[in-house]
Amino acid sequence: MSVSTSTAVARIRSARHSSDVRRLFACVFGFLVLAVMTGPSGSNLAPTSGFTGSLLHPRVFVFIALGVALWAIITAQHRWGEAIKHASDHVTALPRRVMPDRRVRLAFYAVLLAVAIVGPLHVNAFWQDVLVDQIGIYVLLAIGLNVVVGYAGLLDLGYIAFYAIGAYSTAFWTGALPVHPPIVLNAFWAIPFAIATAMLSGVLIGAPTLRLRGDYLAIVTLGFGEIIQIVATNLQGVTGGAQGVIGIPHPAVNLLHVHYTWLIDPLPYYYLLLAFVVLGLIAYSFLEHSRVGRAWTAIREDEVAAESSGINVLKYKIMAFAIGASTSGFAGMLTASKISFIEPGDFTVQLSILILVLVIFGGMGSLLGAVVGAAFLQWFPWYLKEHPLFGFQPEDLYIYLGAILVLTMIFRPEGMIPSRRRKREIGLAEHGVGTADAMSSSQAPVS
Amino acid sequence: MCFTQNFWSFFIGGIANGFLYALIALGYTLVYGVLQLINFAHSEVFMSGGFAGYFVLNAVIGNSQPRGLTSIGLIVLGTAAGAVGGAVVAYLLERVAYRPLRRRKAPRLAFLISAIGASYFLYNLAGKEFGRNAVTIPAPYTNGTVFYIFGAQVQTYYVVIAIAAMIMLIVLDRIVAATKLGRGIRAVAQDAETASLMGVNIDRVIAQTFILGGILGGAAGFLFGLNSGVVYTMGFTPALKAFTAAVLGGIGNIRGAMLGGLLLGVFENLGVTCAPTEWRDVIAFGILVLVLIVRPTGILGERLGRSA
Amino acid sequence: MHQRIIRFSVPLVAVALTLGTFGGAATASTSRSSEPSYTIAYEGPLSGGNAQLGLNMKYAVELAIRWANEGKTFGKLPFKLQYTEQDDQGSATVSPTSAEALVTNSSVVAVVGPAFSGATKAAEPIFSAADLATVSPSATNPLLATEGWKNFFRVVADDNAQGPYDADYIAKALKLKSVYTVDDASAYGSGLVGALDLRLQHDGVHVTHQTAPGTTQCQAGTGNVQEYGALASQVVSSKAPLLYYGGYYCDFALFAKALRAAGYKGQLMSDDGSLDPHYISEATKGVADNTLVTCACAALMNTPVDNAFATAFKQLAGFPSGTYTPEAFDATNVIIDVMKTIGAHVTRAAIVDGLRKVTYVGITKTVTFRPNGNIAGKTIYVYRVENGKIVELGSTLSLIKSS
Repeated sequence: MSVSTSTAVARIRSARHSSDVRRLFACVFGFLVLAVMTGPSGSNLAPTSGFTGSLLHPRVFVFIALGVALWAIITAQHRWGEAIKHASDHVTALPRRVMPDRRVRLAFYAVLLAVAIVGPLHVNAFWQDVLVDQIGIYVLLAIGLNVVVGYAGLLDLGYIAFYAIGAYSTAFWTGALPVHPPIVLNAFWAIPFAIATAMLSGVLIGAPTLRLRGDYLAIVTLGFGEIIQIVATNLQGVTGGAQGVIGIPHPAVNLLHVHYTWLIDPLPYYYLLLAFVVLGLIAYSFLEHSRVGRAWTAIREDEVAAESSGINVLKYKIMAFAIGASTSGFAGMLTASKISFIEPGDFTVQLSILILVLVIFGGMGSLLGAVVGAAFLQWFPWYLKEHPLFGFQPEDLYIYLGAILVLTMIFRPEGMIPSRRRKREIGLAEHGVGTADAMSSSQAPVS
Repeated sequence: MCFTQNFWSFFIGGIANGFLYALIALGYTLVYGVLQLINFAHSEVFMSGGFAGYFVLNAVIGNSQPRGLTSIGLIVLGTAAGAVGGAVVAYLLERVAYRPLRRRKAPRLAFLISAIGASYFLYNLAGKEFGRNAVTIPAPYTNGTVFYIFGAQVQTYYVVIAIAAMIMLIVLDRIVAATKLGRGIRAVAQDAETASLMGVNIDRVIAQTFILGGILGGAAGFLFGLNSGVVYTMGFTPALKAFTAAVLGGIGNIRGAMLGGLLLGVFENLGVTCAPTEWRDVIAFGILVLVLIVRPTGILGERLGRSA
Repeated sequence: MHQRIIRFSVPLVAVALTLGTFGGAATASTSRSSEPSYTIAYEGPLSGGNAQLGLNMKYAVELAIRWANEGKTFGKLPFKLQYTEQDDQGSATVSPTSAEALVTNSSVVAVVGPAFSGATKAAEPIFSAADLATVSPSATNPLLATEGWKNFFRVVADDNAQGPYDADYIAKALKLKSVYTVDDASAYGSGLVGALDLRLQHDGVHVTHQTAPGTTQCQAGTGNVQEYGALASQVVSSKAPLLYYGGYYCDFALFAKALRAAGYKGQLMSDDGSLDPHYISEATKGVADNTLVTCACAALMNTPVDNAFATAFKQLAGFPSGTYTPEAFDATNVIIDVMKTIGAHVTRAAIVDGLRKVTYVGITKTVTFRPNGNIAGKTIYVYRVENGKIVELGSTLSLIKSS
């Protein structure tokens, strides 16, 4: 008896030892990859020069040392993790107890809103523009796609199509396209048209295709995204073709006593966008907890069961598409009228995929997650460009982005700020109960 | 009818392209069968095969102009190099980007994002290290017309692709149908839990599936690069098309992937005679939607478990 | 357990970085000497599918600045020059932000770029409002000169100049009666071929036209390499004696290979996007030989100046000089020339004024600008690939006269 326990203990110790060794290799390897990423570039004629320049160079020791340091921290954490967890639990006890309280949450959001209103006044025009063109638009797109992917669980890889439709319909209604509208509107009044056109196209695209299951829907929506770009390029007489549409007017309001024209300064666009984002967040939040939202949750978790409970699955899926498309219609309008120029190259498949990345990285099914995910992933590259970490070159941006994505998914697959429901689903799945999402087929994913 | 002008010429070209699509599509289908996962990073497996083949042939051939038996040897060498390159990258992908997520039973969208991240990482790293201009693989053979079928010329390139692809497809089919590995793959695809209860080492089977897909995808990358050069962005469009082909034939279905690839290649080519080039993708896509509406699980249906 | 570390550290780091952003703008470099320091910026695609074209230009700008600082090009200058860049990915949705970055950077006095026409259309209103001169080495869309931007200049001829001159060369020097034209569905290719086709028809030449979208082998396109094989068969059936391709060298190389493999025996011709040695290396010498390429730029003939430039560029960039490299070099140098005339106290407005009046002899042409910002002079040169090298034949006008 004692012999077997002691061999068992010895085995456990050696197993832990070997997993420590494996972790050491993983950490050092990771940092060596970082060394290559931040090192010099190779070229066609000298393909190994990048590798030799990064690794056969004294700086590689810095990276190895950092790798060992990280390993030490993690291993220490493993051994003394419990103590640290207790300490950190004390620290987060107060916020965790207080947050679910409705009033505290509302106060928190009010503070966020105040920061969002006042903050941009204290940064320069460049950061204001980043807030509008690079962050704000993507936040809008992300919360829209969150309805489709996060609430209804539909994998849409062609979401950029609605953005394109919103932009081109703005161009149409303001008279900038080669074909002229029945009446020429100001860009501001084109907003409802842009949104309506986007929603209508959501219905039209969804009706024939939303019967398809998960992965097939993905391919079909991907195809639609590409089709929109191709149509915009080819129909030169209608959309201006590959050269795009120039001269889309800025929005202006001339109503009663209010006279205001947006010009090229980014700050007024920011406030217009903020207003719409807040509206969208409130509307979608109500939607999430309404009957429609519950139908979506049912469809997402088990489509067959939802259908047999009497939910008209197709109708709700189409609704998700159309409603999700509405914010991108507005985003399209904002882009078209602020930049005054759009071209088919603005609406690529890669962009659709990027928006999906923003939503999932931020946290599936959660509005706050979508906002934070989009804001962070869009802000980070611009920050890096202004304050380059040592060795960073703009050409290599996507290398860093890709690495961040993989690492984030490994350590936090539910995303940064997942919705509480999703977090529970994922937690249960980790312990073997049910699957983490309805997109898997009837069998459980392989362990 | 629009098809009938130069029918054989377009048909033959289409079959050659179709073989390439089939090889890539198999990578998607194999992984989907065992993991129910679309391996978005398969495009980089394809690219790695291209680069691997390029480096090896560049070192061996240099400026010479091989003929005859040396040509065949070099083609085999290049394809093998591509296959190895693809297999290595596919294995690394599985270990680094997928296995940790599998351990945690992560939701499928997390796998998707990890794959996309891995894809961004790999092709941009290739661009940084190997340069962003395309490189030409030194030709292991002299391109010319080998023979004529119904008046349409068959280039050496087409023959090379056809023979290499057919060999690989037949071997794959035999592996899946008759070997222990193949039985393992089919078992895991059918029901992973029961398979593990029956003693199948799931992790090993999955790794081997990725490697198998990587071999095919990498070889396809080399064959593609023979004609079109190798560049860091080469994976995106062919992989997208191949993925469509895999879905068309029935995702998870090996023979479906082969059929889907060939069909896509042929119709894409023949379509040029019927519609201007810039509309072809729209038409191809329209056909795809129609097929899926009529047969929602693809032409040959899903299910790897039933031995395709 | 280590998830806890990540969970805490990520938001902490994010907060810290955010505070750092709001805390201050990029630190301006303080020069140790007493000379004033000015920055010339380059805006173009540095990442994404169009990266290589952007990199072709970026290193030319850097080299020009380096040589100016060393006194090689202009002698001793009363100021020091710095280089900065903005990656607009060739995109019209990113370029306004890149423009704001350059406009708010007070040490930037002029910009080489934006490289792409679409990006320029989107960014120019911002540059114009800030009176910051932009000299583009590659934006060829004709509309850019009609928007009334006083600060816009380009050293490259627009599509309405190059297209018709190429057409006249085909019709009057080569004396051909029918032509097959293909464009790559990019703003550049389709614009150029559109102008070319119109003029060809005016000259009485029969035109067959197709669009073959550019592929990801070359640029951020939606096209597919397989399309070239099929299109080649069609070109062969049409029996056109000349094929004109509007687009870039990498796609043209693939198309040319497909054409020759399909048995096309006619003349291959393309625009300045194909004036790149990689066309020859990617299409292979046998295919590339005898191709005609046109450009509104004088050749990098083997004069000592040009050789020095080519060698230095290759050393800096790691790849040989290619499409738009010489134009970017000239664009930077014309800015520096204007700055030298102004003296030690350079302002943005002074540079804009100076550019309106400058005449500078560059390596591609003599640079003078028209009032609308277009390059003066409409000389288009014809080149031919001979034995793996690109050789200049002469200007279109002189070739027409002598034929």
